[in-house]
Amino acid sequence: MVRLIQERGGLRPVELVKELGISPQALHRHLKSLTNSGALERRGRAPATRYFIAGEPSLNAMRRWFTASGGSTQESKEFVCETRDVFSARLGRLGALSKQGLEDGELSLLISAVGEVANNCFDHNLGHWRDIPGCWLETQITGKRLWVLIADRGQGVFQSLKRALPSIPDEKTALWTAFEKKVSGRAPENRGNGLKFVRKIVDESPARGLACRSGAGLIDYGTLGPECRKYLADFNPRVSGTVTLLVWRIP
Amino acid sequence: MKIQIKRYGNVLNSRPAGREAALSMIAYQKPKPGEKIELDFEGVLSVGPSWLDEVLSALRAKYGKERVICLARKNPSVLASLEAIDS
Repeated sequence: MVRLIQERGGLRPVELVKELGISPQALHRHLKSLTNSGALERRGRAPATRYFIAGEPSLNAMRRWFTASGGSTQESKEFVCETRDVFSARLGRLGALSKQGLEDGELSLLISAVGEVANNCFDHNLGHWRDIPGCWLETQITGKRLWVLIADRGQGVFQSLKRALPSIPDEKTALWTAFEKKVSGRAPENRGNGLKFVRKIVDESPARGLACRSGAGLIDYGTLGPECRKYLADFNPRVSGTVTLLVWRIP
Repeated sequence: MKIQIKRYGNVLNSRPAGREAALSMIAYQKPKPGEKIELDFEGVLSVGPSWLDEVLSALRAKYGKERVICLARKNPSVLASLEAIDS
């Protein structure tokens, strides 16, 4: 059961009954025991309850949407913000995370970091989406960590930056440049400090981390950055777009 | 003259929203000649550098850099955004 959940991401009891071919009573007995032992974690209210591996974020739904071609996926309605207005409204809802124990100061910085990353999805991809416009925004809380998943099916950092900097050789350099240098694909507009701001916030505290993938480029920042990086390591580098995973430790 | 930023929202994060807010401030707030314009962030949860950059650029261009003051209080996202913009 644990292997199945690991491979497929969060699963509902009804799906587990079907996959494992056991009775609902037996399944719930096993689920209870695995949850009590700390191996599994229950998320959501019935009938939408799903079981996940404890302490790990599940990127499966986002990955399915990110790599799909030419259409939406089942989960996309819940997490995809097709316009900036929808995104802004959902970003405001992150304020409710104070109930999870995140202090106002931490929440303030987290929201501004998420805002900068996700607004880039719209700023740099208008008119250049692979197929579907918008960005994926999802939060998960597991093992005293708050994970924020942001993705877009856009042109990617390299394609965006090489208009302003034709000398950029590849996707890895482009991603590094985006986080380290004050430069923007929207030149001649005077902008390009958003990702530097995000990097600085993440680097300031050992309780934060970030990893970002765009094509073959993969970069991480902060003490918890390597933890984020491992979840993005096996994304297909040939799929255009950008994926960012942020993590904040909850006290 | 003090402008209560919370009137423009609790979470302020994008350039288009910042541009709109700046245009609204310039249209509706009429400071006396030489009067300082104080942006009060009391009651605002989060501000991003993109939003703040649009607002400050427009206000500074209209009234001059010295007249526009941010009362950041203890909001860390305002302090971090200011640092990012002015560094």
